[in-house]
Amino acid sequence: MADLPFQKITISGPTLSALMHRIATSLGDVDGLLFGHVTRLTPSTLTDDNTPQNPDSDLVATITSFFCPNIPLSFYDSLGRVDSVTLHRLVSSTTHQSNSSSSSSNFLGWFSARRKSPIRPSMREFCVSQSLSRLKTAAKGDKDLNPCVFLLFTTPVHGEMLYHTHEYRAYQFQVNSRCFEPKTIAIDNIGPDFRGNYGCFSPNSPFPELKCASAMNDEVGEDLNRMERVSKDQKELDMVAQGFCVGDLGKLMGSETVNSTMSLEDLYEKMLGKLDNLARQVEKSNAKVLEMENHNRKLRYKIARPVPE
Amino acid sequence: MSYDGFLPFISAQLQYLLNHYPHTIQIEQARSGTRYFPGSLDRFTLLIPYCQDHMKWDVIYNAEFPLAAPDVIFGAEDEDFHPFHVVCGEDGDSRLVKNSLTDWNNKDPTRLLALVIELRDKYRSYQEKRVGEVDDDRLKFEISTIVSREGIEMHMSSGFEKPEEVKFAVPLMDMNINKMVSACPWRHPQKIYLQVIYPVDGMCMAEYLPHLEELLQRLVIEAVTLIDVRRQFIEALAPLLGRPLEADPVFCRKASFLVCSGPFTFMLHVFLSTNFPKQQPSLMLQSTQHFNSLGMPVKSPLITEYPWSPRWETSQMADRISDFLVDESLNFKRHCNESHLQY
Repeated sequence: MADLPFQKITISGPTLSALMHRIATSLGDVDGLLFGHVTRLTPSTLTDDNTPQNPDSDLVATITSFFCPNIPLSFYDSLGRVDSVTLHRLVSSTTHQSNSSSSSSNFLGWFSARRKSPIRPSMREFCVSQSLSRLKTAAKGDKDLNPCVFLLFTTPVHGEMLYHTHEYRAYQFQVNSRCFEPKTIAIDNIGPDFRGNYGCFSPNSPFPELKCASAMNDEVGEDLNRMERVSKDQKELDMVAQGFCVGDLGKLMGSETVNSTMSLEDLYEKMLGKLDNLARQVEKSNAKVLEMENHNRKLRYKIARPVPE
Repeated sequence: MSYDGFLPFISAQLQYLLNHYPHTIQIEQARSGTRYFPGSLDRFTLLIPYCQDHMKWDVIYNAEFPLAAPDVIFGAEDEDFHPFHVVCGEDGDSRLVKNSLTDWNNKDPTRLLALVIELRDKYRSYQEKRVGEVDDDRLKFEISTIVSREGIEMHMSSGFEKPEEVKFAVPLMDMNINKMVSACPWRHPQKIYLQVIYPVDGMCMAEYLPHLEELLQRLVIEAVTLIDVRRQFIEALAPLLGRPLEADPVFCRKASFLVCSGPFTFMLHVFLSTNFPKQQPSLMLQSTQHFNSLGMPVKSPLITEYPWSPRWETSQMADRISDFLVDESLNFKRHCNESHLQY
């Protein structure tokens, strides 16, 4: 299998900062999986220069999301051998969660973050990357592409150098030469220069398509069928608004549109209420996760420390 | 070296490593990778001797996940050194590999030692392979003549700024020096290495080494014999000056006696060089009764000039020193009284 070298690895500013935040707030060293896509750059400038350009170097790997299991050795063992079953579970659960357009969330590689250590791939990191490079289940779109991206994050060995709090490097693992090839990282930010990267982004959130709203006025039809449909639609509506009755949707159209302003405002308010409630739930579950993490940590310490005599 | 601050299981493994490794290992830059407990150290740099030099390897444990095996980061120059790379087929599954990281048990204090020994062995093979690949007839010939020596170490440096060079540490003489010196304090076997750095001109090693070893062997035997000569001399002083208060029992380089000259009591320190008896012992007198303004006992300067001949019998040497002391003690007493009166 031929190695296709990347020209560079790009990551969006928000993804990088989310990743760094995750690393900075972790208890100890962490690692995880990287997702994204690989694109072929189209040459933007045409020149008369006839020097042949490296046809392989127009590939760009873009990291768009990551998954951090928050425990080390989550998908490989102490020797760096990847457990393909676990990896498959982690990868598929993450790619299913994200948008159905799977092309934007291929499994690209992994990252490792360790504090106070030299910024060089370690013995185990090499083995993990090598082991990953043997997997055939790489990015689905690109036949020849392995999950070969590796991001390394460290903090300086001497903690006093606080004005330089962290370092990161990107590598592409070369299967044939069995080595890490350092790559430049480009950070994509929002702005006119990066318009190309956000071209497919649409800032609209789709409202569920509800059939019953239109059928509401048809008095005919079997009651049972109608009720079933209403309860199904109510469920879908509850996903976006909190406590708004499907029946009231009818007031937004037809003969009752006189009061539609109030009804519409009511709908928006309930949609905002839904968001508030979601935020509260996230906060609560975060607290729960933290509590469980602390509990787990105590258990781990218990194992590590001999019982005082 | 204190192990304070390390988690107990890391501390136990470190202690075992330092006490059982056949060479001296140093620990540097102990630090912590945890967020909330920067005091619990879980990573450090090991200075491991190799080829008359040191390798700096970072050992990274994880205090938050004590059951996980440690990771190692090798030196910046050794980025091609991959001791445990997966050698299996396409499936990426190699359950048969067995090394010191498989079935890691953090409660077993011997694990770190086993890991370091295995990695260092692999590093030696890695360097041997690199040196073997150098396309140089002279070097290939030299290796063929010395490769059979047990414990030989090779190293090829290829930094960006440094010129390429090959280093050898050739163990010399199949001699157990530890056994030759009775009651020796060394924990590790004493070995003499010759460091050779290629490219070199001139004599080849096969020609040079026998001469060198013969010479060294003579020197070692002579040095060991001289220990006995020094011991006999110290023993010969005992009937005249009394049993030594303190004496270096292994190398016999130093002895101290308590000597009386009438009511004046002083200590005599005798320092013996490795050239004894060719070079006479240095003497120093120290009063037990006089102190200077700082409260330190008054001492004489080092005395290196007094009647001496390396051809004398040991007993005669002791006699002559004893004779010399009769007069010298009076001088010293006067010196003590004078310096004492000043305060």
